[in-house]
Amino acid sequence: MLVRCFGERRVRQIQRALQRGKLTLLCLFLTVIVLRGTIGAGKFGTPEQDFDEIRHRLLPHRSLPQRALVEQQPDHTSSSSATAGATKPFITDEGDDDPPRDPNVPYSLGPKIFDWDKQRAAWLHRHPESPNFWAPNKPRVLLVTGSSPKPCENPVGDHYLLKSIKNKIDYCRVHGIEIFYNLALLDAEMAGFWAKLPLIRSLLLAHPEVEFLWWMDSDAMFTDMAFELPWDRYAPFNLVMHGWNEMVYDDKNWIGLNTGSFLLRNCQWSLDLLDAWAPMGPKGKVRTEAGKVLTSFLKDRPVFEADDQSAMVYLLVTQRDRWADKVYLESAYYLHGYWGILVDRYEEMIENYHPGLGDHRWPLVTHFVGCKPCGKFGDYPVERCLKQMDRAFNFGDNQILQMYGFTHKSLASRRVKRIRNETSNPLDVKDELGLLHPVFKAGVKLADAAVTGS
Amino acid sequence: MGQVGIEFKPPARERSSLPTARASGRSRRRQIKKTFNNLKITILCGLVTILVLRGTIGVGNLVGPADADSDQKVVEDIDRILREIRSDSDPDDEPPLDSAASNSTTFAATNVTTAATATDKNYTLGPKISDWDEQRRWWLADHPEFPSWIAGGKPRILLVSGSPPSPCDNPIGDHYLLKGTKNKIDYCRLHGIEIVYNLAHLDLELAGYWAKLPLIRGLLLSHPEVEWIWWMDSDALFTDMAFEIPLSRYDAHNLVIHGYPDLLEQQSWIALNTGSFLLRNCQWSLDLLDAWAPMGPKGPVREEAGRILTANLKGRPAFEADDQSALIYLLISQQDRWSDKVYIENSYFLHGFWVGLVDKYEEMIEKHHPGLGDERWPFVTHFVGCKPCGSYGDYPAERCLGSMERAFNFADNQVLRLYGFGHRRLSSPSIGRTRNQTTRPLEFKDQLNLQAKVSIG
Repeated sequence: MLVRCFGERRVRQIQRALQRGKLTLLCLFLTVIVLRGTIGAGKFGTPEQDFDEIRHRLLPHRSLPQRALVEQQPDHTSSSSATAGATKPFITDEGDDDPPRDPNVPYSLGPKIFDWDKQRAAWLHRHPESPNFWAPNKPRVLLVTGSSPKPCENPVGDHYLLKSIKNKIDYCRVHGIEIFYNLALLDAEMAGFWAKLPLIRSLLLAHPEVEFLWWMDSDAMFTDMAFELPWDRYAPFNLVMHGWNEMVYDDKNWIGLNTGSFLLRNCQWSLDLLDAWAPMGPKGKVRTEAGKVLTSFLKDRPVFEADDQSAMVYLLVTQRDRWADKVYLESAYYLHGYWGILVDRYEEMIENYHPGLGDHRWPLVTHFVGCKPCGKFGDYPVERCLKQMDRAFNFGDNQILQMYGFTHKSLASRRVKRIRNETSNPLDVKDELGLLHPVFKAGVKLADAAVTGS
Repeated sequence: MGQVGIEFKPPARERSSLPTARASGRSRRRQIKKTFNNLKITILCGLVTILVLRGTIGVGNLVGPADADSDQKVVEDIDRILREIRSDSDPDDEPPLDSAASNSTTFAATNVTTAATATDKNYTLGPKISDWDEQRRWWLADHPEFPSWIAGGKPRILLVSGSPPSPCDNPIGDHYLLKGTKNKIDYCRLHGIEIVYNLAHLDLELAGYWAKLPLIRGLLLSHPEVEWIWWMDSDALFTDMAFEIPLSRYDAHNLVIHGYPDLLEQQSWIALNTGSFLLRNCQWSLDLLDAWAPMGPKGPVREEAGRILTANLKGRPAFEADDQSALIYLLISQQDRWSDKVYIENSYFLHGFWVGLVDKYEEMIEKHHPGLGDERWPFVTHFVGCKPCGSYGDYPAERCLGSMERAFNFADNQVLRLYGFGHRRLSSPSIGRTRNQTTRPLEFKDQLNLQAKVSIG
């Protein structure tokens, strides 16, 4: 039909033209593809992006369970009525909280105070109902811990934080210690592990009745409920940390001490220490640069931004004359106990020893360094961390439950069983560890702040 | 251009198809050669294609990116751990385990018409004690270093709360349990109150809301120095940090509970609220607990008791017996025995139902100040029906969680201002400074009155 239309020759010419056209089109297509693959065709993307997109669409993408709570937007109606005509209650607007601080101006935790010891002594004198010592060897202690105000990324993280705070509530109730649990970021520049510095300073200044502030990380648990700290040993010192003198001053090892659990006396020396400690902390360039300095100065330190622990080692080594005489590096018991060498031995400890020792035989504190139960990724496998945290919690909890006649069925189990039958004369029965009415709690007389005004 | 003169040449193959023996051999060779050529070209093209593809997509990516893998692994790990954890928890729905002599659950009669038979007569919380007041008095006399009052002469109070030992079904529930615990720690630190937070099922038969009974009894008997035990639900938050419970009002009473006497007369099932109450450490309280417990044991007893309670209390839906309805029923049916020592408090919110309160916080901040404890500035905001830990509550989850956040921040502001901070909005955890730092911080402390007005942006 075509032949009749166009004539044979014409048809062949057309066929040839078509074939050439096909060839041309094919070559053009190939060129475009190659160019797109190498140079990229702008908004048309690259084959790699295509591939990723296809994969994401086809494979079910599993993500961690979503949180139900989304931060609500400011309620415009209520806030406008509250601020209409009133003076602004906040010193800075929300956006102004993080103005780019001039890096030449050194960071400061607050206005420098020079006479804190005098101010504090005067206050204590005016308020005899709020003493700083319950008994000659029993100072008033405030245990401080905290965690992020946001829900944990790990869905079981908050549960472990809850168990951890219950563990601390129990120890502190038995020993007459007060607790402050922090859920606020007081200074955005000192975020992360540095957040404890502005918090500690604020608490020291707001609570002159507190003699010792005991900072404890949220991933540290009490595993010896009967151990009372040897307060008389620390009378000449202002800072007590777990560590070894040789490792800090001779080796300059970045893990020569641990700032996950330490005692700080409420005095001028401590305020000065905090001021000297803080400069490596501010987020950003300062912290990164400081990290490099610390890595090159300290032994075995990996490369990462400055952390408070390394900065403390650096401070003690470089300014030894100024600070070291008031710093006690405690290694006689586990004020901080690295979990890796402790958790597998709990059964052995139960068999051979008893609570009240605080050291390698029955550690006071088991500290889950590197586990990060609240986040998604720690330095150790999630399963080992969580299982061992359960065991450590139960190990400590058993000492509390035995006061009431119970114990966990096993170190891995949440279930409890009776170990002591009830009687109609409960007061004749003494709990084995004597924790119900311990000697070290005898003098502690908590007061009602609303009444005393402290 | 004459095309006519062009000679039409037949295509080459036609020419070579002239049949000779040599020609066929040659043609086969040519075919083989052609096949080889085609093959060469094919291989060459194939190579070029692979090279190009590798350059663009990358063959390594066909296996899958490392990121998604490790993410997936963590998620699987956590899922597996959660399954293991939950499999270790006490089975709430299973029948009770082996019974000790004092804890049998024999069900009295099949034909139940009265409340007496809908309880387990054989169940007891523990061996009966009849002289607890005397035992306690002796002990206190023997131990002057553990008096029943604290500095300032205020009676010693022990706040008791708790939650189930396993992680919440809803992860956000654990976060609010944590915040609720911090809230209780703050109030108790300010008021010299000690806390016990329970995470154990002490008595499997009395699980759920009944779990507080064996816990309270155990604590009363172990801590004779405690004058009052204050039970508080984990979903109740302190919202007035300055309010002091007027304990002197209760010198002649042993149980202080929020409720409405007129509702009690009408036998309404919400006449009282057992989410926050005070119980004195004395013989009367032990007797009350013993009288209260029988409707509690899991299984047929609790079910049957539930039916009795629904029949007798106004407005009660049909479900198993709960401790609140049981207490109301007890106080109604044995009024002569108990009511003279029960103080039904409603002049302040020892328990404050959240629905009517949470939306008014901004108004309260504007008009009133802490320390009032009543509808102007509620002492306790109790999130009844929210169940943030479980999967199903009576209210939409978002509303509950948003309101709990507001209540928490409302209370937290009263604590943070001691340090010069405050939440910018009740809905947000972010805080800002409300007061410049000074070199004389104790002057502010001396001036600080917990009951002073709070301001907020």
